[in-house]
Amino acid sequence: MRPIKLMGHERSLTQVKFNREGDLIFSVAKDSTASIWYSSNGERLGTLEGHLGTIWSIDMDSETKLCATGSADLTIRLWKVETGECVFTWEMPSPVRRVAFAPDDSRLLAVTDQVMGRTGTISVFNINYGGDYTQQEQEPEVVIETRTDSKKVTVAGWTANSEYIIAGHEDGSVSKYNSKTGEFIQSVQAHGIHNEEKVVSISDIQFAPEDGSYLITSSKDKCAALIDVESLEILKVYKADAPMNTAAITPVKDFVILGGGQEARNVTTTAESQGKFEARFYHKIFVDEIGRVKGHFGPLNSIAVHPDGTGYASGGEDGFIRLHYYDKSYFEFEYDTERTERAIASGTT
Amino acid sequence: MSSSVIKSWADAEDEIPSPEVTTNPDGTKTVISYRLNTKGQKVKITQKIREVKVKEKVHPLIAQRKNWKKYGKEKNTPPGPDTRTTQLGEKVDLKLGTSWKEIEKQEEETKAEQSAQLVSTQRIKCRTCGGDHFTSKCPFKDTLIGEANSASSTPELAEPGLSSTGKYVPRHLRKDATGNTVARDPGSRDDSNTLKVSQLNSIVDEDMLRNELFTKYGPLQRAIVVRNRETGESRGFAYVTFMSEHRAEEALRDLNGKGYHSLILHLEWPKKRK
Repeated sequence: MRPIKLMGHERSLTQVKFNREGDLIFSVAKDSTASIWYSSNGERLGTLEGHLGTIWSIDMDSETKLCATGSADLTIRLWKVETGECVFTWEMPSPVRRVAFAPDDSRLLAVTDQVMGRTGTISVFNINYGGDYTQQEQEPEVVIETRTDSKKVTVAGWTANSEYIIAGHEDGSVSKYNSKTGEFIQSVQAHGIHNEEKVVSISDIQFAPEDGSYLITSSKDKCAALIDVESLEILKVYKADAPMNTAAITPVKDFVILGGGQEARNVTTTAESQGKFEARFYHKIFVDEIGRVKGHFGPLNSIAVHPDGTGYASGGEDGFIRLHYYDKSYFEFEYDTERTERAIASGTT
Repeated sequence: MSSSVIKSWADAEDEIPSPEVTTNPDGTKTVISYRLNTKGQKVKITQKIREVKVKEKVHPLIAQRKNWKKYGKEKNTPPGPDTRTTQLGEKVDLKLGTSWKEIEKQEEETKAEQSAQLVSTQRIKCRTCGGDHFTSKCPFKDTLIGEANSASSTPELAEPGLSSTGKYVPRHLRKDATGNTVARDPGSRDDSNTLKVSQLNSIVDEDMLRNELFTKYGPLQRAIVVRNRETGESRGFAYVTFMSEHRAEEALRDLNGKGYHSLILHLEWPKKRK
């Protein structure tokens, strides 16, 4: 396959994301502009200008009318995707590390960092779709503060019914909160238990593309874990040989893609081949690593899969987004056991 | 998707006849157009076109978004990907399989081998034997160097400053006119096999010494007739180095006091020898 290189950012990427139909790619980087790209040919639709610092996260609603960006300049901005206008700005007490629209578009969560003497929080805002979107409430509807028995939240996302928020913590645990009341429901230690790694912070959380009934977390402890949303049971663990920054579940095929690599600060002191800057494909069920895609010359910070399962985009510390569309062989790949099972099934019916 | 037919670029030219479009019975169109080439000549272009409408069903939202105007840094840029921000990358392979690690390892090994071969064939060439190793590691180092030197001695006569390979040879290492290397530093010279031959007739030269007088005693390492610097005339004595001391002794015993070209030879060990 021949990737399309998207080179609109001047600094390392922090998040890339496809919209629901997969025709647009949203990307944010440390250079304080967000870019929106057509996924079919890599053409840039536009940039979102206005932030004054690193943008850590971006998310869009299901119809791609609005998108929100969370930045280190202590603001969350809401943008009209069609025109690139900023329609609202929320002032936050500390840098915003993650934003996510609820699947029903009614609310937006924002994870604020635990720095500058502030407690890390998950704030939930109501989104008002009336008028020209500029009438938003400044105050969050719900604020979930870091529990005393836990470390700060690093990433968070919504369950499919918009009822619960699943959060990944710095100590490698994954917990579930009621999004309406902010009530803590349960927690599981998902990372830091599979090996001896000291840094176990959860770096990414992505939900299953089909129904959101399970999710994948990636962690600096060189593992990724597949977790059931309902029970928070750890279903599978994928082990890698470098800290992982991102993980995604592919639709159509039963794979997961992991991305990461050596810490950015060590990159200049070692050879490129040592950096492990590859997208790793694992079989979702058999947990084997089944392939790698080279290309980046820095660690991968974010991977997003096309909702149709036809490709994926990866954003790296090197400042490039690489957009891949799979070859035919990708769709034909099967384990021998899968093939025989299918043959038996088709033979009996 | 909306599709628009691109009109012929030749339309703009006014002195050129407008293109004729005829519809063929099989549904294709024949377009005959004219244009001027770079030499100003009129060129007739006949194109056969089959129009195929490709219908692509997309989500209505996607179709809507396709027509959005660009904004931000992309404002006022023409439609289509901008090469400053969007480029095709190099081909990458994704070979799925449980044994991908082994395959990759093998590939890397073969690559390393190939590059090693390239290095050895392209870059390293032994100066002694021409093989693909360093000169210092040549297995024929001891045997071939002498030959290589003697081989390069013949063409040197024409151009005393240059060796056969065109490299500069310092004066003290150059061969003299007779093909001998004259070692100028007497201290380092091994004189044990050398005899001084005096009372030579002035007509005697090195060739005569080698081929007549001392043929019995094997090939000579060196034979030098000392000559007058200005006239080149023999001063009547010569130094002769034999292959071994034994040979030199034989020659001294046999030839001392014998006549050669009307004169009685006098052979002796050189003075420095104790």
